[in-house]
Amino acid sequence: MSNVYSPTDPRFAHLGPEKFRLRQTDAVLLDAKFETKPIGFFRDAAMRFAKSKISIVALIAISIIGFMAIVGPYMTPYGYNDQNLDYINLPPKIPALARFGIFQGTRVLQNRRVDALSDTSRYPEGSIIRIDNRRVMGGVELCDVTVDYYRYMGIDDDVYFLFGTDYLGRDLWTRVWRGTRVSLIIAIVSVICNVSIGLVYGSIAGYYGGSIDMTMMRITEIIDAMPDVVVVTLFILYFGSGLISIILALAVKNWIGTARMIRGQFYRFKNHEYVLAARTLGANDARLMFRHILPNSIGPIITRAMIAIPSAIFTESFLAYIGLGIRAPESSIGVLLSEGQKVLLYYPEQTFFPAVIISILMIGFNLLSNGLRDAFDPTQRGTE
Amino acid sequence: MVITLFIIITIGFMVIRLMPGSMYADDADMTAAQMEILRAKYHLDKPIPVQYGIFLRDLVLKGDWGTSIKMYIGVPVFDVLKMKIPVSMYNNLFSLLISLPIGVLLGIIAAVRKNSIVDYTTSFMVVIFISVPSFIFATLLQYYAAFRSGWFPIIYEASATGFAKLHSLTLPIIALSLGPIARVTRYLRAELAETINSDFMLLARTKGLTEAQAILRHGIRNSLVPLANVVIPMFTHIMSGSMVIERIFSIPGMGGLMVSSINNTDYPLTLAVLIFYSVVSLVTVLVVDLAYGVIDPRIRIGGRHIE
Amino acid sequence: MVEKERPILSVDDLSVSFRTYGGRVQAVRGVSFDLYKGETLAIVGESGSGKSVTIKAILGVLPKNGRIDAGSILYNGEDLAKFREKDFHKIRGKKISLVFQDPFSSLNPIMIVGKQITEALTLSLGMDKDKAKARALELLHAVGIPDPETRFYQYPFQLSGGMRQRIVIAIALASDPEILICDEPTTALDVTIQARILDLIKEIKAQRKLSIIFITHDLGVVANMADRIAVMYAGKIVEMGTSEDIFYRPAHPYTWALLSSIPDLDTKEELVSIPGSPPNMISPPKGDAFAVRNKYALELDFEEEPPMFRISDTHFAATWLLHPNAPKVEMPEILAERIRRYAEEKLANAR
Ligand SMILES: Nc1ncnc2c1ncn2[C@@H]1O[C@H](COP(=O)(O)OP(=O)(O)O)[C@@H](O)[C@H]1O
Ligand SMILES: [Mg+2]
Repeated sequence: MSNVYSPTDPRFAHLGPEKFRLRQTDAVLLDAKFETKPIGFFRDAAMRFAKSKISIVALIAISIIGFMAIVGPYMTPYGYNDQNLDYINLPPKIPALARFGIFQGTRVLQNRRVDALSDTSRYPEGSIIRIDNRRVMGGVELCDVTVDYYRYMGIDDDVYFLFGTDYLGRDLWTRVWRGTRVSLIIAIVSVICNVSIGLVYGSIAGYYGGSIDMTMMRITEIIDAMPDVVVVTLFILYFGSGLISIILALAVKNWIGTARMIRGQFYRFKNHEYVLAARTLGANDARLMFRHILPNSIGPIITRAMIAIPSAIFTESFLAYIGLGIRAPESSIGVLLSEGQKVLLYYPEQTFFPAVIISILMIGFNLLSNGLRDAFDPTQRGTE
Repeated sequence: MVITLFIIITIGFMVIRLMPGSMYADDADMTAAQMEILRAKYHLDKPIPVQYGIFLRDLVLKGDWGTSIKMYIGVPVFDVLKMKIPVSMYNNLFSLLISLPIGVLLGIIAAVRKNSIVDYTTSFMVVIFISVPSFIFATLLQYYAAFRSGWFPIIYEASATGFAKLHSLTLPIIALSLGPIARVTRYLRAELAETINSDFMLLARTKGLTEAQAILRHGIRNSLVPLANVVIPMFTHIMSGSMVIERIFSIPGMGGLMVSSINNTDYPLTLAVLIFYSVVSLVTVLVVDLAYGVIDPRIRIGGRHIE
Repeated sequence: MVEKERPILSVDDLSVSFRTYGGRVQAVRGVSFDLYKGETLAIVGESGSGKSVTIKAILGVLPKNGRIDAGSILYNGEDLAKFREKDFHKIRGKKISLVFQDPFSSLNPIMIVGKQITEALTLSLGMDKDKAKARALELLHAVGIPDPETRFYQYPFQLSGGMRQRIVIAIALASDPEILICDEPTTALDVTIQARILDLIKEIKAQRKLSIIFITHDLGVVANMADRIAVMYAGKIVEMGTSEDIFYRPAHPYTWALLSSIPDLDTKEELVSIPGSPPNMISPPKGDAFAVRNKYALELDFEEEPPMFRISDTHFAATWLLHPNAPKVEMPEILAERIRRYAEEKLANAR
């Protein structure tokens, strides 16, 4: 073994007797606890959350979309259902971005006769921007023409639609943000329903336990065994596809997961000393639930809610696609997507904006819920 | 199981029969007499519990699912299903069968190379594929990989067979599979990463196995057992995703049938489709339970579930 | 004692740290010890003192976030600290084997135990299947498992904790290692089964001329087992000596505390637990890590780490109390009294 010294080794001789006084104070016997003052659980979670850059980015993205969903529809002079058949299927035209060569309101018209290009009744002055791909087919010279579609359609230069228009000439900017708003409302309200039902149901089952619990859990098992598609479809077939009925349809199965989780929390915390202590001290049932057990469940509840929102947005779009969604002329992301799908091959831009928004929302909420889960439950994340 | 199915059928039947409006309300050209004949033919004139009794009796005893009343007038519902089910199942099972191995493989790679570039890239893709709905991918694929580039047909070619059929189903299957692949990857990565840190993996290495041998013989096999848990939600996910995908690619399957039967108020058909979906998901649960028994000796021999 | 030979394993100044979110955890800080042929060396210390990390470093199975910062681990003239993963294959199982603390988690739950034994033989020694099975049955018999033929085909969940630990020992012995490391092999077991497993380890050690590193947090367990004992605290060895040195002439206040905390079966005295908890290893305190919990701490303990002092040829301790200028501090009276009694008993037994 290396580095072993004799107690009389000269290199320690300089240490004088004053260094060797016993420090026999009982006060220092316990090692020093963390010096910082205890931070509350939520402050702690918030700090951990703020450390995760991805979660912050997700939160910002969601906030921007949320903000636009509120104010977006008022930013243009058009209502979400203002139809104008002179303006149908216009491409997006964003004057602020036109300088950079995007969203100029142009469109490529294919297989046009070259000899007709000079016909100003078909191609108004200044509408032709570029001619490509000239070729001769069957003796006729053809080409692809990039036109300023607004001019081509004889629309005034100062008229523009930021996201273009749909087959009824409705402003898609207004419809997209209004649709985002509707989808978000549906998702958020349905998640609130889902959490409330789950909370009450799970609390009752978890608190009382025994046969009440057994029966209640059996019921959830049966509901849970039915496929989502079937439950949601039947629900909407019966109650019609109004806003409320869609909201409820989305909650009709999802609350079960919440209820189970809450019940689990009850079982976990039920036997904790502080709950038992409160009980012996005579706290009544309801007080006990709310003061002692529910605060511990808030983290998981918020996390679950955040996961439930994107899945509600998904289901809403899904319903719109299969024809059970929000009724026309109301807008929602699902409605826009399924209308866009019909003209995808001709006007892909009509699908582009709702697709981007739903994607950002879905990714954002998923990342956000991951971030929240890690923030509320740091132990879940390994030390590696 | 049977009870659940019974409850689903009952609720389904009641909901559909109790729906507001008569089934023939919009057929204005029919005379009252004709209507009566039709109603009698389909037992619609009897009280609902009796109708239900007849329905159930025919279903159980004769395997008779009723007759389509709008879309394929007079054709037994069962024959319509027989035509549509193979198409949908082909897609859905195909998607499931490719998702599992690909997801497992990616999950293994990500777990073994934890915190490497490969892992981060995979995790990033996983978030995107789990989040973005399959119909968005379907739309993207249809536009770029079919319409713009012409690599694949834009819509399903019903008459095609063999390779051409597969070719025309490639895009729908890819669109359906991205999400499930990501789910399996995420699950396996987490599971395997945990298994790799387990004591028995350490023992496997300290007794002289190479890291690869240990991961192969102990890690992967053990992480595959709980994978059965994700298969059920995954398959129902594929099935519901497939409804929209079928619509986008004009595939004449169950999804399309459900949508059009609802829109055409062909209720016997709707009911049958809903029952079909319930049966499939119950069968999935059953298959997974049985599979558990086969893979996990604790269930096979112990006859009890793992805690 | 087998003192003058060359050690078969020699750990020198080993330091291991882990990367974590909170910072680097200095789990092992300059540990040195030798292991001689045929001896049992016990490493004793509270949980978290770095015992498992030390042996994981020896076997090259540190978690991915850990690394050896300094030191050497000499075995057969080679430095295991510099080994790469593939170099370890000729060592693990074949030369040095490990038995873990928890037999409930150290066996693969979905593989029959027989296969878990033969695997080591077929995969890493290239033995053929039948031979491996015969050898496995032999081993099962050797570790005291009745009816090996049946047990061979059973899964871990069908066996009791004691049985499983025997299986783990059989696995460890499969390739005839020279050194057996037991990491708290009895901690997870009932007291009665503990004793049997300890007997088994003693027995196989004698039969196979093994050298054993026996890790425990309970000095009581190694009393009849260890030839030498190293006491570890906060990633360092604070005292090391023969079993007699440690039990009859303990020199470090931490060892005193550990010894006082062994429940005394004879007198049923209340056991004296050590106040406080081990320090945070992300930023270990200045001076002696044990100082804040030490009733006998000196001013100097808070300033400077005590070096390892030689008490005799076999006995070393890292405490300033050994310095000539230190006040003459005696071990706690209950402990001294206990030691006197043990010594008398031992004498009586010897007669
Ligand atoms: N993978 C790891 N990451 C971070 N810290 C670790 C890791 N493994 C062990 N440690 C730390 O190293 C210290 C020693 O652990 P260990 O050797 O397991 O203690 P014990 O003496 O009980 O066996 C502990 O403080 C533990 O927190
Ligand atoms: Mg340990």
